[in-house]
Amino acid sequence: MSKESVAVTGIGQTKHVAARRDVSIAGLVREAARRALEDAALTWADIDAVVIGKAPDFFEGVMMPELYLADALGAVGKPMLRVHTAGSVGGSTALVAANLVAARVHRTVLTLAYEKQSESNAMWGLSLPIPFQQPLLAGAGGFFAPHIRAYMRRSGAPDTVGSLVAYKDRRNALKNPYAHLHEHDITLEKVQSSPMLWDPIRYSETCPSSDGACAMVLTDRAGAARSPRPPAWMLGGAMRSEPTLFAGKDFVSPQAGKDCAADVYRQAGVADPRRDIDAVEMYVPFSWYEPMWLENLGFAEQGEGWKLTESGVTELDGDLPVNMSGGVLSTNPIGASGMIRFAEAALQVRGQAGEHQVDGARRVLGHAYGGGSQFFSMWLVGDRPPTS
Amino acid sequence: MPEVLKAPLVVEFPFTRSLGPVQSAFLTGLRERVVLGVRTGDGRTLVPPVEYDPVTAEELRDLVEVAPTGTVTTWAWNHAPRRGQPLDTPFGWALVRLDGADTSLLHALDAPGPDVLRTGMRVRIRWAAERSGAITDIACFEPYDGDPAESGAHSGEFEDTVTGIVAPARLDYTYSPGRAQSAYLGALSERRTVGERCPSCRKVYVPPRGACPTCGVATAEQVEVGPRGTVTTFCIVNIKAKNLDIEVPYVYAHIALDGADLALHGRIGGIPYDQVRMGLRVEPVWTPGARHPDHYRPTGEPDADYESYKELL
Repeated sequence: MSKESVAVTGIGQTKHVAARRDVSIAGLVREAARRALEDAALTWADIDAVVIGKAPDFFEGVMMPELYLADALGAVGKPMLRVHTAGSVGGSTALVAANLVAARVHRTVLTLAYEKQSESNAMWGLSLPIPFQQPLLAGAGGFFAPHIRAYMRRSGAPDTVGSLVAYKDRRNALKNPYAHLHEHDITLEKVQSSPMLWDPIRYSETCPSSDGACAMVLTDRAGAARSPRPPAWMLGGAMRSEPTLFAGKDFVSPQAGKDCAADVYRQAGVADPRRDIDAVEMYVPFSWYEPMWLENLGFAEQGEGWKLTESGVTELDGDLPVNMSGGVLSTNPIGASGMIRFAEAALQVRGQAGEHQVDGARRVLGHAYGGGSQFFSMWLVGDRPPTS
Repeated sequence: MPEVLKAPLVVEFPFTRSLGPVQSAFLTGLRERVVLGVRTGDGRTLVPPVEYDPVTAEELRDLVEVAPTGTVTTWAWNHAPRRGQPLDTPFGWALVRLDGADTSLLHALDAPGPDVLRTGMRVRIRWAAERSGAITDIACFEPYDGDPAESGAHSGEFEDTVTGIVAPARLDYTYSPGRAQSAYLGALSERRTVGERCPSCRKVYVPPRGACPTCGVATAEQVEVGPRGTVTTFCIVNIKAKNLDIEVPYVYAHIALDGADLALHGRIGGIPYDQVRMGLRVEPVWTPGARHPDHYRPTGEPDADYESYKELL
């Protein structure tokens, strides 16, 4: 029996900000879930199961938060699952939900991811003092900066490419009402003169710390037929993982990322991603990851990704827009960041991205990664149902 | 086989909680010696209150006051109170259904011993002398044989509401790095760096983890590597971390020790930070009593050729 087609008929986000002190975690997730239900014109009773994701429990210090959030998400008496794959969790959560529909286990699934980073300190949560180990670093920037230097060496990219990405994404965010950072006075010079934190990463080339949630309603063909707004259709979806550290690991372009993309393209019948895909929402927490992932995802040959960025191809009006929403560089509620990529990809093919809509976006890739570049999740969505 | 190391690992953090409207009213109420529940769609009163109806998922905002007296619905005796618990002498953990409520609240019940506790016994709140808007504003429950107290009819509206709390969390672990890391650390105390070779792919892991993550097989063959190595990539850290006693800027580098098949991480010294480069040849610098090399410094050899380390970034 073939798989059921999976449609996105509802999308909801909170306005992402540094601290949502007016709501509890329950209130935060509820807001995104309500908006997704309203978008799909459904009620809690129409939902068959809930699949929720977030980054490590340490980030807010609530152990197994999904138990406490069942009431807020209308999950009482229904299956509720929690997914956890570090920073990629928003993507993998959506894929677990999609698989439940594709496998005909459930017809309509609410999927949601969130983080309320203001309740803790992610830098602390990622830098526990492990006995017998030499403390050398704090936070994610120091971990990723050497890999960026490795990319610069390998590709010969000019030093300015990272600042171009940050400048683009922050300007795109101005067109997205849900984005956290709205830097109206942003200039390229400001990005390039911002303090060097973990050389070669500058302050303006790093993601913010956000409170936010993102939700989607995923449903089958019958559900999509009842949708009041155009659905987005899943054309392919895949997850891959690999160890954090192993002999031969390529941090610049991890094999698991390549394999994950290849699986998605095979499912969707994509022969040439550069030609067949109209836009990408990719997980770029540090600006240089845009050219790195362009190569990893097959949009450019190895060592050539920065040329797409430098020549303006990835601008909102370019030939392959990347992070039209402003991306992780403008909004980072960690657990939700992957789902926001997936949801923004779906918004584009539904033609509902508002000011940051790409004209004629018919096939858009959503991408997330997490951990030490060890978890990958991606989906390709289209404006038409899959043909097979 | 050398002894496997162990050490305490305490993870501790003061989490902040934004309360939202319902918990805000509940905790502000406790500060004012008022216990609030919330009314559900089917007419029940939930104490402690919740924000969303467990049956219908509808938002709940109808706050109602209940009495400070109630009935024990079940209990357990705590023989040995631990750090941070409500009482420091043995006490009962009790679920108490307050008069006017349909659900039970978990709290401590102060009693001389387990013999006096029983399901159905009547209790009342003993308020803390100093209250701040926290569940600990209820010091505990105590046995009570008077009449049910009258519940007031508080609206749930307060001045100067509590909107957030700090919830300190603490986890006590015993951490063990395992056999392979213990052997590695033992060798370091003799200022030798000893990795392990995978019997299948022949790669040398430093530090060793007892298994090859690629082949999924145990590693045992010990291989001494270094002491010299090559900086394969690095960053310059300009942020002073609270928990680190290292002056900034400093160079954090991936260092492939000679003979190792992946890089380990270390700090580079003995050279201005802005002169560190990929391919720099380095050696460890030890300080007395330290478990790890303090940092690595240039050996003075010519830089390694990129081709020789490009797989070890």
